[in-house]
Amino acid sequence: MIDVKRGRLDPESVLNSVRCDDAGAIVLFLGTVRADEGVRALDYEVYRPMALKTLAALAERAKEKFGVLELSIAHRLGRVPVGGDSVAVACSAVHRAEAFAAAAWAMDEVKRIVPIWKTEALPANRGKPRKR
Amino acid sequence: MMRVHVKLFATYREIVGSAGITWTGRDDLTLRDLVDGVVAKYPRLAGHRDTMLLAVNHDFASFDRILREGDEVALLPPVSGGLP
Repeated sequence: MIDVKRGRLDPESVLNSVRCDDAGAIVLFLGTVRADEGVRALDYEVYRPMALKTLAALAERAKEKFGVLELSIAHRLGRVPVGGDSVAVACSAVHRAEAFAAAAWAMDEVKRIVPIWKTEALPANRGKPRKR
Repeated sequence: MMRVHVKLFATYREIVGSAGITWTGRDDLTLRDLVDGVVAKYPRLAGHRDTMLLAVNHDFASFDRILREGDEVALLPPVSGGLP
């Protein structure tokens, strides 16, 4: 599953999308919005066609590189409040070591090459939003 | 002469004041030529040039890429990043 959308993520559906009988391990990672000082939410924007293409390519690369069975990535767009889930990565593998490694690598790649940007949504009296 | 579509995101969109512009250039226009032209027209982009990522038709591309009529060029700020 590769998904980029507005609205709440459903971690269980991301998790279920990688289930298979050959798997002995499934890893689910959730990236959540942290309550840094003054931050009440993050706003995410995307270059959708390139993001979908890049996410699909990196999921395939993770399968080749780590020998994992399935890898899914879902990213939320728009405003995500503190405590909300902004990204979910799920990975199934025969053994846990490669599942952990592939999920960590995929998340690093999401932050490195997928065209999704976030801006801090600050209270009205805190001045201009900061890109981060 | 030919035309390409230039898409802009986040900080770049705010600087240019639009999510997209149409750029007209000579037939052997490179991505470098296009970026030089856009930065000259919108000088506040100059400080971002060293960290700018470039894509053509949804794939990352380098400055020496020769553009074709109708290409979709994207000028991309560094992506969301954050510590591991």
